[in-house]
Amino acid sequence: MLALALAAIILVTLLMFGLSLLSGSTKAKPGADFATKTITVTLTDEPPNLDSSLTADQISSFVLGHVMEGLLRLDENNQLAPGVAEKWEIRADGATFWLRPDARWSDGKPVTAHDFVFAWRKTVDPASASEYANIMNAIRNADDITAGKLPPEALGVQAVGDRMLKVQFAKPVPYFDRLMAFNVFFPIREDFYKATHGRYASGADMLLYNGPFKMVQWVHGAHIRFEKNPAYWDARRIAINVIDIPYFTSDPSARVNLFRDRRIAQAGLAQQNLEEAQLLGWNIRSFRDGGVFYVEFNHRRDRLSRNRNFRKAIQYALDSSVEVNKVIKQPGYLPGKSVFPIWLDGVNDKFRKEYPAPEYTPDTARARAYLARAKQELGLSKIPPIMLLAGDDPISGRVAEYYQDMLKRQLDLDVRIDSQIFKQRLAKMLAGDFDLVMAGWGPDYADPLTFGDLFLTGNVNNRGQYSNPAYDEQVRIAQNSNDRKVRMDAFGRMQQIIFDDAVVLPEYERALLFAVDPQISGVVRRVFGADPDFTYVKIAKE
Amino acid sequence: MTGTTQSVQSTLAAQTTLADPALQQGAFEPIRSELRVQALTRPSLSYWQDAWIRLKANKRASLSLWIIIGLLLFTALGPQVWRVNPAEQDLLQISSAPGAERSAILVAPHSPWAASDVPPGTAAGLQLVGRATTQQVRLAWQPIPGAADYMVYRNIVEPKGKATFGLPLGPTGSGDITRFEDMLDLQPGISFYSVVPLDAGGNQGPGSKTLRVEIVNAITLQQAADRRLLEGRKTPELGTMIKLPFHPLGTDYLGRDMLARLMQGAQVSLFIGIVAPLLFVLIGVVYGSMAGFIGGRADQIMMRFADFVVALPFLLFMILFKIAFGIGPGESGIFPLIVAMVILLWPGTARLVRGQILQVREEAYVNAARLLGARTGYLVMRHMIPNTMGVILVTLTFAIPSAIFTEAFLSFIGMGVAAPTASWGSMSNDGIKSMLTHPHELFFPALLISITVLAFNLLGDGLRDALDAKLRSRE
Repeated sequence: MLALALAAIILVTLLMFGLSLLSGSTKAKPGADFATKTITVTLTDEPPNLDSSLTADQISSFVLGHVMEGLLRLDENNQLAPGVAEKWEIRADGATFWLRPDARWSDGKPVTAHDFVFAWRKTVDPASASEYANIMNAIRNADDITAGKLPPEALGVQAVGDRMLKVQFAKPVPYFDRLMAFNVFFPIREDFYKATHGRYASGADMLLYNGPFKMVQWVHGAHIRFEKNPAYWDARRIAINVIDIPYFTSDPSARVNLFRDRRIAQAGLAQQNLEEAQLLGWNIRSFRDGGVFYVEFNHRRDRLSRNRNFRKAIQYALDSSVEVNKVIKQPGYLPGKSVFPIWLDGVNDKFRKEYPAPEYTPDTARARAYLARAKQELGLSKIPPIMLLAGDDPISGRVAEYYQDMLKRQLDLDVRIDSQIFKQRLAKMLAGDFDLVMAGWGPDYADPLTFGDLFLTGNVNNRGQYSNPAYDEQVRIAQNSNDRKVRMDAFGRMQQIIFDDAVVLPEYERALLFAVDPQISGVVRRVFGADPDFTYVKIAKE
Repeated sequence: MTGTTQSVQSTLAAQTTLADPALQQGAFEPIRSELRVQALTRPSLSYWQDAWIRLKANKRASLSLWIIIGLLLFTALGPQVWRVNPAEQDLLQISSAPGAERSAILVAPHSPWAASDVPPGTAAGLQLVGRATTQQVRLAWQPIPGAADYMVYRNIVEPKGKATFGLPLGPTGSGDITRFEDMLDLQPGISFYSVVPLDAGGNQGPGSKTLRVEIVNAITLQQAADRRLLEGRKTPELGTMIKLPFHPLGTDYLGRDMLARLMQGAQVSLFIGIVAPLLFVLIGVVYGSMAGFIGGRADQIMMRFADFVVALPFLLFMILFKIAFGIGPGESGIFPLIVAMVILLWPGTARLVRGQILQVREEAYVNAARLLGARTGYLVMRHMIPNTMGVILVTLTFAIPSAIFTEAFLSFIGMGVAAPTASWGSMSNDGIKSMLTHPHELFFPALLISITVLAFNLLGDGLRDALDAKLRSRE
């Protein structure tokens, strides 16, 4: 028995030793190589779809942001900069873009206004069923085309010659220029698209590139390689030759291991990696991705959480500051105070400076008083167990357990935690199968409206189905006014209503931590568009 | 048995001698009973007594037996002795290792930091405002020329270069704000705080400052009162040292007592480990002995059905039962787990028992008993069951660790117990996330699973040796 165990241990040791020898013998490519101007990075998964007119997921927009370019783009400070268009003009009734003459596709032909018209019509065409067709609803007739009432040719966009693009609006859209950096508005060339016979974007040779890089290799599920695109009009700006992506892994610790071995230039860090990262002296950076996370109540008719006093009780029982500092413990997270995050612009300054979030201190006595009133109104002597829908990631699990204990201890509420994968959680949110849900929202554009209209009656993303005419009124003001002050006042009132009525309870504004190879600089993180953006990267000598 | 044979022989001898007419009755005197006793080579032992002696002689098995008894005591009596609520979270002692420092200084409750607390111009370089405690660390610094914003970093080692400042705690948001309050997961000990000026584009500028800060453990009056740490003190004064609650095995990621959770986990694990195998082994014994005893076509049909049950996937049925019983999310999956085990795991035992019965049925002594007119009931009770008992007990002891392991596995993947109830499997799952930083959160539940499974396996091994009649005759 003992001899057997000993033999087993020796065998395992030998095996591990042998494996490490094997892996050591293949020469590791460094994450950042100065000589060949190559950086190596990872993707969490295969890009689901690289047809720019149909896709909007994070991985696909990362790839498209490197190999394609829209009329405008975002620069290293996340400001709008000219892209294919060298000049543009936004009016109340429409917009005009003047295209630069030197913008070219990777096959050498110029990028023309027709390429944009073709791509945009394709997005709104009901036949292509693009998930992001609604982002075009600013353009005249877009809604009717998606609904099948008008042909795609009726879209309010036309090419005047090769180098001028005219857009007619359905309603005033002051942020229309910002949308142009979004991949749904990228160009697609009609003759190339038709020549692929339905196989467009299915491989590296089934795409045309007009961006800073071109994809030279795409082994599905395994390897993507970008090389500098010599046809790109601003190729001088690009300081690296190759972005190599030989690892597709959604496992964060696998990425940290690759970074530790210096095989990749950048890796996201989780809470458990932080101690090691400090001891090894890694260059740790943080980035707020713009998302706001909150506990959303179910306001449907048959739910307890429809009762305002019940919601207020929970509001006064939970403390977002303790949650962030003691339970989540991730640097960069900001305790939630409002659904409007701190980075949003107001009239002249940041929105949250001009319209501070309502301040309150969590207070057990007050929470209990609210709960007593709620019980009276509901006619219950004891609140039945409430269902908390949460994600299946470690942070959500911890926070859910923290809430469970807090609500039990302070309000004697029994909470059942329903941990679900993202897709299932979304389905349950849509079906209203929850009392409380840990939800979040990433902005679609840099205007408070992207958060404000979340609680508008009838919005699909209003998962709790909150409905309040006073709130809807403010959203309507914000949607239809062109006056910045009037709009911001409306958002300020929405912020107050969300607090007073305890529509949702803000939890935190998320931050992502990542470690970067000290040799490289200029990695740009973005709230909108391709994130991370490696087109500004420079590699220093070791 | 030895004793019986002896007496039969002597009776036979007496009969033969009586047949000889030359020998008279008076020439003999009766054998005294003591002499018969003397003739015994060793005391008569029942099957079980013998097995028990042999089990005790096996050191590994008897040690395992003691470990199992200890575990049962830990489970049954532990929570009576260590009366700590396993679900209670103490956010002041998150992930504290066994034997961590427990003394903390009493401080005033946290209040928002008003700008007036730092008189302008007094902050020379980078300095602390107030005392650095685990409640908060407040920093203020002289404005650095050209800064549009400041980034504040914290590190557990001294920064060596401009890329190694450590954890970015956050920007102050403006070049005018030259103070920062850190409340993030503060641990007692030395920390290095750095303030780095940022330009308008968010790039690091020159002129960063670093400060070495010693953070002390602290508790506010309110927190101390909530934890009933102030009882017996008349007027608790700020600045006095008090002891935080004691956690012999440390706490987990939400400050819950590990020992109390391990005890609660033991209840779940051992309950499943003992109840489920008892039930499915019982079903297997009944089914297997029926099949073996009846034999023929009925045996064929019954065993093919058992083969069919073996082919059913366990995990899938576990999920199906969970849904069929209407067990919603957030509720314990223990009941469907037991049902799935009972319904799906009996064929193993049934096969073993059937094989054993078939073998015993053909033995000469069974035939002899049958010829002597023994009835079926007698045959089963006297010959079949005792001769299969060894196999049954061994199956049972091996089924227990596998059931415990199944529960641990299912709780590990989130299908077993529901929070806040702990089981060893769910605790391992939670602990593995912080394996590198707080190994004790994984180590203790994993150790208990390993010890329990090993102990039951070794005991089963010992029982098999002890109950095997063939091994016994060879000695």
